Amino acid sequence: MLWASLILGALHAMVPLTITATGEILSERGGVVNIGLEGILLISAFTAVIGAEMGGPLAGLLAGVLTGALLGLIHGVIAVFFRGDQTVSGVGLNILALGVVAIGIVDRWGSAGFHRVERAFRVPSLSTPLGPMSPMVIVAVLLAAFTWYLLKYTNLGLKIQACGENPAAADAAGVRVEQVRLFGAVYAGALTGLAGAYLSIDWLATITENLPAGRGFIALATVVFSRLNPWLAVAGGLIFGFFDSLGLIASTSQQLTRIVPYQFIQMMPYVVTLLVVAGVIGRFRAPAASGQPYRRE
Amino acid sequence: MDPRPVEQWELETAQRQERRRQLRGTLGSFAEIAVALVIGLGVGAVVMRVAGYDWLLAYEGLVMGSFGDLWAVADTLASATPLILTGLVFGLSARAGYFNIGAQGQMVIGALAAVAVGAHISGPPVVAVTVTFLAAGVAGAIWALPPALLKATRGVHEVISTIMFNWIAHYTALYLVFNLLNDPRSAERSLRVVPEARLGALIPGADMTAAIFVAAGVALGIYWLLWHSPWGYEMRIAGLNPSALRYAGANPLWSVNLTFILAGLAAGIAGASQVIGRPPTYALYGDLSNLGDLGFDGIAVALIGRNHPIGIILAAVFIGALGAGARMMQIMANVPLDMVRIVHGTVIIALAAPEAWSLLGKLLGLNRRRGQSAAAAPAKALPQ
Amino acid sequence: MPDRSAPRAGAAAAGGKAVSVLGGAEPWLEMRGITKVYPNGTRALENVDLVVAKGEIHGLLGENGAGKSTLMKILSGILPLTAGRIRLGGRDISLRTTHDALAHGIGMVHQHFSLVPTFTALDNILLGRGALLSSPNRAQARARVQRLMDETGLYAPLDVPVEQLPVGTQQRIEILKTLDREVDLLILDEPTAVLTPQETDQLFQVLRALAARGTTIILITHKLQEILALTHAVTVLRNGRVVGTRLTAGATAADLARMMVGAERLPDVKQRQPHAAAQPVLRVAGITVKDDSGQDAVKNVSFEIYTGEIFAIAGVTGNGQTELVEALTGLRPIASGRAYLLGESINGKSPRQLYRMGLAHVPEDRHRLGMVAQLSVLENSILGIHHERRFRRRLPGTLHWGKVRRHARYLVERFQVLTPSLSTPMRSLSGGNQQKLVVGRELSKSPSLVVAGQPTRGLDVAASAAIRDLLMDIRNEGQAVLLVSADLDETLALADRVAVMYEGEILAVLERDQFDRERIGLLMGGVRDGSAAG
Repeated sequence: MLWASLILGALHAMVPLTITATGEILSERGGVVNIGLEGILLISAFTAVIGAEMGGPLAGLLAGVLTGALLGLIHGVIAVFFRGDQTVSGVGLNILALGVVAIGIVDRWGSAGFHRVERAFRVPSLSTPLGPMSPMVIVAVLLAAFTWYLLKYTNLGLKIQACGENPAAADAAGVRVEQVRLFGAVYAGALTGLAGAYLSIDWLATITENLPAGRGFIALATVVFSRLNPWLAVAGGLIFGFFDSLGLIASTSQQLTRIVPYQFIQMMPYVVTLLVVAGVIGRFRAPAASGQPYRRE
Repeated sequence: MDPRPVEQWELETAQRQERRRQLRGTLGSFAEIAVALVIGLGVGAVVMRVAGYDWLLAYEGLVMGSFGDLWAVADTLASATPLILTGLVFGLSARAGYFNIGAQGQMVIGALAAVAVGAHISGPPVVAVTVTFLAAGVAGAIWALPPALLKATRGVHEVISTIMFNWIAHYTALYLVFNLLNDPRSAERSLRVVPEARLGALIPGADMTAAIFVAAGVALGIYWLLWHSPWGYEMRIAGLNPSALRYAGANPLWSVNLTFILAGLAAGIAGASQVIGRPPTYALYGDLSNLGDLGFDGIAVALIGRNHPIGIILAAVFIGALGAGARMMQIMANVPLDMVRIVHGTVIIALAAPEAWSLLGKLLGLNRRRGQSAAAAPAKALPQ
Repeated sequence: MPDRSAPRAGAAAAGGKAVSVLGGAEPWLEMRGITKVYPNGTRALENVDLVVAKGEIHGLLGENGAGKSTLMKILSGILPLTAGRIRLGGRDISLRTTHDALAHGIGMVHQHFSLVPTFTALDNILLGRGALLSSPNRAQARARVQRLMDETGLYAPLDVPVEQLPVGTQQRIEILKTLDREVDLLILDEPTAVLTPQETDQLFQVLRALAARGTTIILITHKLQEILALTHAVTVLRNGRVVGTRLTAGATAADLARMMVGAERLPDVKQRQPHAAAQPVLRVAGITVKDDSGQDAVKNVSFEIYTGEIFAIAGVTGNGQTELVEALTGLRPIASGRAYLLGESINGKSPRQLYRMGLAHVPEDRHRLGMVAQLSVLENSILGIHHERRFRRRLPGTLHWGKVRRHARYLVERFQVLTPSLSTPMRSLSGGNQQKLVVGRELSKSPSLVVAGQPTRGLDVAASAAIRDLLMDIRNEGQAVLLVSADLDETLALADRVAVMYEGEILAVLERDQFDRERIGLLMGGVRDGSAAG
């Protein structure tokens, strides 16, 4: 049934966007912005496949999370301790990822730029009335709930928000600003790594040179759309995910491609992202100290 | 704290210290870049070693392929040409305070315009070439404007909007190359540009065309604009202190738009250079391989060149050398072309940590020594 | 502020028991030989000693840049010291972080509040406490803070985002936050800078009560009257060194001023010269200006400024002066009403248009508006006038740097801007020299009206005197000056006429022969003439 596959597709497409956005929300609340999410997605996707082929799907997921956490740590250290330009560091991450993964694929599997992940290494799906669904859908919602709770109802959440709004005030109150911000960066990296693993050993079941196809940036747009509220990240993920899945389904449908050329269908997620981001932003207010290193003499 | 008039010798001492500080600053920048490059190349060597390649042989091939002989140098310069332009896109925007990573998309649109115009134009070669370049530049500028307007009116982060426009341009190009601009004689690429609009190879057998002069010209033009005109002065201030710009009587909105228009212009010209400056085909391939990742490489170029047009030219030659030499690397040591991308990425990350250098210095005790000499100097006015 | 030359507190207070160390009490806090050298070589403190007894109110007096804030930042764990020892209750302690300081019972109320603007007062107080993953215990904290408010008399709403509250209330929250940490030593950095005289009295009552209960208080200030009114003893700093420590009892304002400045009298302002018949330069007719949140910051204000006069606007910062200045200099729209410069309307005009009409603006926030810190002195010398024909080459649209250089050199010499070279970045200059360049640049436009906002804020004595002389020169040459200053002494010394602004309105305009500190103080606090016994 077309509807079922559309809904299921949207749910599946939502997962990487929501998980990545949720992690980045926490990080940005604390004041660290990571533009390099796209790169983290790609590298984690790659290491996840290696992990899965060595030890099964769970090992793959773990490999992805650890890779993401490590990359998040590097970005965090540069941003917080070296006070480097966060955007530059993020952009560097993206470029680095492209190179590492391209070479890695060729080196490991011999095939140029593309490798299909065997069923044996993929995350098993649950059967639902709509069809086979990945358990990661539930994980995504749970992570959003957990992050929301963390930010709103715990002392740690208070500290994170203070570091993002006024790190000097947080420092005066005895909060260790560097550590809190670093935690945020690692958290975002770890969740993004999980999302990357999902891309390769679950949903798309391949690893290519350009697997995320801009999803890291769409996740950033989701962060903006969500006004740093994890629940809205779920909503945003669903919206973008809907168009993402629509594009995938439509490009294989003969009837549709006769009316609209498939290139324009594939363009849709990006156009929608643009429209949403342009339409929503009027009143978005980032934390006052977002993206700025904290310096004390 | 200047309760008494300053002695002449104190002023001279301060002047000498000032000159020394400026020199240290410039040398420091070069040192930072050098360290970043060494780290990048070092990491590349490590990766190659781990993957089982002979990195020494590979780097030897790299040097030979980029500067070994006249053809190699020509190849290097040909590779550098589009990089100068895409580097300017990022560098100029960065100077004005924006992260414009839309060079890729703007370049694609420029290339499309170059094909559309160049395949149908007629007239003397000078006119044909100029008009094609202009059309491409204007197209790129038009493509760059929406992110600027979105930023100015709705506060949309330009990183997100430019990436989206990149992807939209990508798919638009795919569509056009296979439909409207398709060459009936060869379905896998676009129409070819008419002979009048083509740039010939300056050195037979190598890829270099007159496009390099166009690129250098654009770079010098932007240098002149930024440092020798009042509008460029305003653009620089916009990047450093937008509030002061309003006080100075300029409209920041104006600055944003002008910056993005110029950036798009450069990107569009880059796109054109990869079509009309690419013997022997002079067309846009269906896989857009003319354009590759030149947009993103431009970011590396701009960062290494410290967002300064002259620096960008030098950095573009360096990265162009990496690209030109990569072919020789592949031949001599069997290393895949994408190896250079690892070097790029690592260099950028290394460049992103300006305080790493001073941190390193502190670890080596350099600062301690400097602190002791400061203790001997008389108290100076507190900088506020 | 009302004259309080008779000190309230003294060594003989508290029932005859000695309160301060000089009076014989046990030293409790000892800072010995404190030296602070910044990474760039600046020596902020040189071998400073500070000794305070328990329950004492100790003043730390000095001008801007004397090192008072630096010393206290070291004591509260924000800055590391370079050399020296700190002892508390007889034991050496190490204060490397704010954590350490709080653990030792040392808390500081900063001049620029350390509050998270989007948090409520309660959340600000809760910040940084409690186990990481557990919920902040708001009910418990609320009860605790309520008790504290009752004990000290410092009331503030707990559930409103702090950024929406008036400055005086924010400060109360800042103090409550620090007291909630059960501090034994409370440091206050220029607490009265944002308070009216009446709010200042309230604060002092609270502090005296706290001291009586055993809390030690260190008060940083540059206001002599506050030292005399509140403290038991005072340490005076100048240029990073201790000039002396003495009991407050028996001291006069002149004594303290001498220690603080090192001279008998503060330098005089230049002679005021009589001027010819005055023409109106600026006419403001019933203008209303809105602030960033859409509220009316300036309410139906009218006044006129004539040639050859300094017209000052006095008032506690935050009563609309900033918005008024921004409206008159083209940086903020005039919501209603009209204003005229030399007869021409200025409504809706951009800064550049206003500069061409003869306006010059020395901005209150010199770093954010008046200069670009990263650019050189040369490049800053043409900020705002960079499009003028006199800096152009024959080729249109090109800057002639040689002409700019000549202009910059003229500014540097005429206004005595001390800089190693023209290509030195502005941020390397001292505040005073930066301001001299900005003022000089604005004056070089040959303006009809100079609008100067807080022109001597943050500057040392010599630089302030130089700027004041420049303003007097302009006045004597027949131009007009609109001066907005929070420094009442400066205002009264310079102005021909003073308008007092309170909550967006001008309550009164006084001529020079009507100047009366007490009356102005009351007006600044919103007490209109005729109401409340002066």
